[in-house]
Amino acid sequence: MVWKRRIAYINLTTGKIISKPIPKQLRQLYLGGRGINMYLLYNHLTPEVDPLSSENILLVGTGLLCGIPALGSGRCDIAAKSPVTGAIGDSNIGGFFAPELRLAGFDHLMISGKAEKPVYLLANDGNIEIHDANHLWGKDTFETQDMIRDDVKDEEVKSLVIGVAGENMVRFANVRTGMKNSAGRTGMGCVMGSKNLKAIAARGTMDIEFSHPDELLDYCKQMNDMITETRWARAQSKWGTLIIYSNTNTTGLIRTRNFQLNRLEKGEDLEPENMDRYTIGMSGCYGCSVHCRHRYVLKEGSYAPIFAEGPEYTSLGAFGTMVDCNKMETVLVANHLVNKYGLDTLETGGLIAWAMELYEKGIIDEKDTAGLKLEWGNEEILFQLITQIAHREGFGNILADGFNTAISKIGKGSEYYAIQIKGMSSLHSDERPTPSLALGICTSTRGADHLRGRPAIDLYGLPQEMLQEIYGAPVSSDYTAYEGKSRMVWWQELLYAVTDAIGTCKFQTVFCAVHAPKWTEFKNLIQLATDMKFTESELMDVGERIYTIERMFNLREGFSRKDDALPERYFKESTPTGLPIAKGKKIDRNGFEKMLDEYYVLHGWDHNGSPKKETLERLGLDKEPSHIV
Amino acid sequence: MQKILFIDPEKCSGCRLCESVCSLHHEKVCNPTRARIHVVKWETSGLYVPMVCQQCENPICEVVCPMRAIKKDEKTGAMLIDYDLCVGCRLCMMFCPLGGINLDAKSGKVLKCDLCNGEPRCVQYCEPQALQYLNATTINLKKRRKAAEKYSELMKKMLATV
Amino acid sequence: MSEVRCLNCLKRFSVNAGADEAACPYCKTRYRISWPRQDQPKIRGLVEKSR
Repeated sequence: MVWKRRIAYINLTTGKIISKPIPKQLRQLYLGGRGINMYLLYNHLTPEVDPLSSENILLVGTGLLCGIPALGSGRCDIAAKSPVTGAIGDSNIGGFFAPELRLAGFDHLMISGKAEKPVYLLANDGNIEIHDANHLWGKDTFETQDMIRDDVKDEEVKSLVIGVAGENMVRFANVRTGMKNSAGRTGMGCVMGSKNLKAIAARGTMDIEFSHPDELLDYCKQMNDMITETRWARAQSKWGTLIIYSNTNTTGLIRTRNFQLNRLEKGEDLEPENMDRYTIGMSGCYGCSVHCRHRYVLKEGSYAPIFAEGPEYTSLGAFGTMVDCNKMETVLVANHLVNKYGLDTLETGGLIAWAMELYEKGIIDEKDTAGLKLEWGNEEILFQLITQIAHREGFGNILADGFNTAISKIGKGSEYYAIQIKGMSSLHSDERPTPSLALGICTSTRGADHLRGRPAIDLYGLPQEMLQEIYGAPVSSDYTAYEGKSRMVWWQELLYAVTDAIGTCKFQTVFCAVHAPKWTEFKNLIQLATDMKFTESELMDVGERIYTIERMFNLREGFSRKDDALPERYFKESTPTGLPIAKGKKIDRNGFEKMLDEYYVLHGWDHNGSPKKETLERLGLDKEPSHIV
Repeated sequence: MQKILFIDPEKCSGCRLCESVCSLHHEKVCNPTRARIHVVKWETSGLYVPMVCQQCENPICEVVCPMRAIKKDEKTGAMLIDYDLCVGCRLCMMFCPLGGINLDAKSGKVLKCDLCNGEPRCVQYCEPQALQYLNATTINLKKRRKAAEKYSELMKKMLATV
Repeated sequence: MSEVRCLNCLKRFSVNAGADEAACPYCKTRYRISWPRQDQPKIRGLVEKSR
């Protein structure tokens, strides 16, 4: 059973490794994955430690449903205190690592301390060993994985690795596995680098047992059919998340030149259909029937030949629209570079776009950039800056510390131009016409983010009755309105928290597809896999518990309502272009504050965003830290 | 007519659903090392090839088995292992040129695809249709059509230039 | 299935099979269309006025 899976405590300073069972009580409260990770982070991290010190802890967790043949169940959650924001650090990664870790006998790893020299961990059938990684230091994220497979002499070993960016402690360095998958956000690769931890490898042959295997197998087929029958999944199967561009760039919901335009003119080359020129096929993460990842080949150009996977919609914005590059090939090269170095694509693009606007405005000049002319649309400058950031060279070294530090170093009003919240860059979406999406990026516990609570289906203008059925109360069909939008964000936050805790793919729940598995289906899957019984509302409470303990962590670190704030530009500058529905829009300050008030009430938090006593009691959080494990 | 488990590696997305479905169906657990099908991957070049017993016309496994424990199922054409006779010598595994026979490290038994008694579960779950269960003539026609596509493209171009 | 949702007025309208352009009958916005599947159209971009 799932109950046989253990948590391992690994102290890199002393080399001591112990493991313990994961109590069922904790599963009832937090399920697994992000849920248990957030519990561990709140319980085990000393408040106010420097994220780059050896006192920070790194958590790796598989989802509760890891291994089921449905919904991309191979997701892994990585957490620590974030070196980007100082708040919750938490990032979710697909691919094939999590099932391998579970097959090796472990669901959670808690890594503390700091190794004296570069090391990697190897989990194998109930054991964890610390191996020397001197020979891996300096290697890129692809080479590192191959070299570990050679070391262990096993082609099936799966690894979470960092690249040179993580080694150099670039604040937003990511953790990667395979060709494609990244735990991109909040700098978890930086934390690994700070611990001299180059990789975490796993190989396992231990059975993953489920309570009702035959019924589960049949139900998984139903789940896969349910998602692959949606229009969203069908289009995604063909062109990946790039299809979002078709909607956002056509409408005018996309940041261009940092935040100057909301549509990329002459942006046809970035249309997803053009990926057909480079694609050799799609690929899927573990247990996924959607397969949204392009496998692509670049045969020409100065960076060719390249075989790579991706790019996601995020990279299309980061290295396309935001920096005003309108060539797909630019995006494909940049995507490969950040993946090789192990840099978060979104943060990298966001910072470079910001620097380009500062250069244009004369806030920085060539003296600051060591001779680089940071002109819009210049792909060579883009590639150079990516490389500089990863190696902490030149002007790249300033950007490598992320928004918080770069803003204070550059000064001169540069903060106004930074599209960031809690110190983390926002996606290249322009939320000025969409109050619900604007609220979601502010309330996200890990800094500006679209994967914490984005009600993407708001953009479909669904009938009022359908929205009422999904969200449980009246919500306006008009995505430019403010009425009911706080409820959408709150509801999505709970759903995504539970999705990350069971470890299935967010694209296979109600994110961009309306008729996708959600509470009822999750409840059934949990029952068939583990025999744990929840009602839909109990499952929502689990989501509330996870989200609230994240909030408690942030409050303890000094965050509050003032940090749930939109960049000023959202209130001051109207969208200059787009279809009539999206043109001339900005966020109304009163409307926004009212949404935020309503949102806190829905969570059971007070006016300042602190959980009320009765909320803590209802969720059992009044006893935290409880140190169950 | 008997059907064949047809593999089209070009369509494989590498998701490994087939492996977990196979082990869950046969062994009642999720464990790819105990599955009868395996997706062989060259990750850094993006190549995925599902490998499974091809139920050969002249099966070496049948010939080398000292206990005559491997026999053809008349209904499906699958080569089935009679575990009452099998002594676990693993000769079948060693001689199979395709790696179609797997050793279950847990039980010590050899495992091979049994075509799920004519309803292969892996095929049902393979959304990209890299795995299909087809009769032999269909496969041949499919392959011919695919090969002929090159010529038809060429002919279209020629006609367009006329 | 052969419908798309207008990105401006958010109403659904049907698209002729295989068409590479379509106009919203309600708000008249003109779109370029692509087909991820034979039976499923999607909006690719705007028909630019200059064309």
